Amino acid sequence: MRSSRILGLTLVSSAAFAGVLPKIDLPKDSPVAVIASDYGESNETARGGAMLLDLHAALTLRNSSQRRIRGITFLVTAQEVTPGGKGSVTVTSLDVGPFETFPLHIDLRLLRPLQASSSGVPVQIGLDGVLFDDLSFYGADKLGSRRTLTLNEFEARRDRKYFKSLVAEGGPERLRREILESMDHSVDRPALDVQMVRGGRATNFEPEKQVQFAFLRLPDSPVDPMGGMARIAGNEARAPRLEVMNRSDRPIRYLEIGWILEDHGGRQFLAGSVPAELNLAPGQKSQILENATLKFPTRGGAPLAIEAMTGFVSSVEFADGSLWIPSRTDLGTPQLQRVMAPSGEEQRLIQIYRKKGLQGLIAELNKF
Amino acid sequence: MKHPNQVQLALWSGGDLGLWDRWRTGRHVAGCASCASEVQALRAAREQVREVTAQLPDNLNWNQLAEEMTANVRVGLAAGEAIARFDKPALSGRPRLGWNAAMVIACATVVFGAAFWINLPRPQMDHLLSALGRVRVERIGKLVQHPAAATEDVMLEASSLSLDLSQNGRTLSLMHPHSDGVTVSVSMRGSVGVRYVDADTGQVTTNKVYDAEQ
Repeated sequence: MRSSRILGLTLVSSAAFAGVLPKIDLPKDSPVAVIASDYGESNETARGGAMLLDLHAALTLRNSSQRRIRGITFLVTAQEVTPGGKGSVTVTSLDVGPFETFPLHIDLRLLRPLQASSSGVPVQIGLDGVLFDDLSFYGADKLGSRRTLTLNEFEARRDRKYFKSLVAEGGPERLRREILESMDHSVDRPALDVQMVRGGRATNFEPEKQVQFAFLRLPDSPVDPMGGMARIAGNEARAPRLEVMNRSDRPIRYLEIGWILEDHGGRQFLAGSVPAELNLAPGQKSQILENATLKFPTRGGAPLAIEAMTGFVSSVEFADGSLWIPSRTDLGTPQLQRVMAPSGEEQRLIQIYRKKGLQGLIAELNKF
Repeated sequence: MKHPNQVQLALWSGGDLGLWDRWRTGRHVAGCASCASEVQALRAAREQVREVTAQLPDNLNWNQLAEEMTANVRVGLAAGEAIARFDKPALSGRPRLGWNAAMVIACATVVFGAAFWINLPRPQMDHLLSALGRVRVERIGKLVQHPAAATEDVMLEASSLSLDLSQNGRTLSLMHPHSDGVTVSVSMRGSVGVRYVDADTGQVTTNKVYDAEQ
């Protein structure tokens, strides 16, 4: 059992492995503290001409602040292995009170050539940000965690409010129907592997073509997508270029455009999002450009052939720090319902329903 | 005795001879009655001309005269330009030869570049593009290079089992459980993520990998 490992202190499988344990670096005034760590199943083995570090960290953290924690992001770096990149582990939909503990699992794998000797700690884990229940934030925010955690908290509040309203309007059975419908949509929703390369160009033999965006306009969206295009070649899509207009009465500093792709068989899936940090005054237009390539490899079966694209505004941050996200009504649009995954909070509530049933779910909703 | 000719006598009478010729001719005229009378005749004729030219004709049309003079000046200028153009080809021969040479060199460069590009193996081409992409010119003579090897060969990948950040044959992977509830998210700014609900803890967990510029 993993939970039993969490309660233990640091366990190291072998003396040789001790040298490759991650370094956990928390600021002195950090609102969380590591009170236990377990690396029980971790190991480092030679595999051919490479060394494979398999790290399974089960950390127990304590909220040492006076506020309730809603979300937390840890930054994971391995400078000797991948100097050009980093990873992160974020936990959202938390409700951790002062001095309460909560677990954090980090499962990672490092593969490096044998000759690349390790002169120090291969993995560093640091705190990037903590979001509290009053939406205040602590942390270095190198990864934009404040915005990400706040968006997740907004989605969680929206969905809890929606499910509570269902109980109030139609009783527990209405909530059950909604949960079952959401589970059905999850099964039908296509899932694809994806590769991304910054600034890459098409590697397919298929000729590249420019495809115009169609737009799904959400009635309450503060941003109006005006036009856009991207380059498509077979199963690759790259270099999206979009034009947007601020139709609200407040300046906007960040927005994301969701990007839906459609293959030649009419199957739609959410490819990703095109974010933009900008300074968009009311009524002002702006262009969004990104020079990255997405590729959707298919494991067996016919290769994907992208034919059309649809964009929609998926989130907006105003200059005063307030956020806009699509409403539940917006998400009920058939096209979005087909492609959009449920929020993290909705997934969590569905799992509670699976494990504890309808009453367990209602009890969870009533906690907030 | 040799007498000065008519021209010399005319110039002497007008005082236009040089110093030596003036002295020699003067000595001769002083001793030669024939030449002295010839000089007298020349001086009388000059006085008559001077008197005649001192009086302008009554019906002189100054406007017509000005137009004729202007026309003559223009004709002179046009003739000068024509002569200048006629002379130019000989002078501009060298620059034209320079442009031709530049065109030949430019064409040869294009052909060489195209052949190089077509025959360059794919990995080397990607490497070259990546290297060129990292170098930019901010101002003339000032090259700015992005810090570190940054985005070279960095690939982010989300599959059903893991999130991978691969660079130069090395990989950092964040593992997640194989589950139907896994949701992949991609940001075109340079990150790929996977969200799932941890079966043990019930926590909503999102793993992400980022390229260097994020």
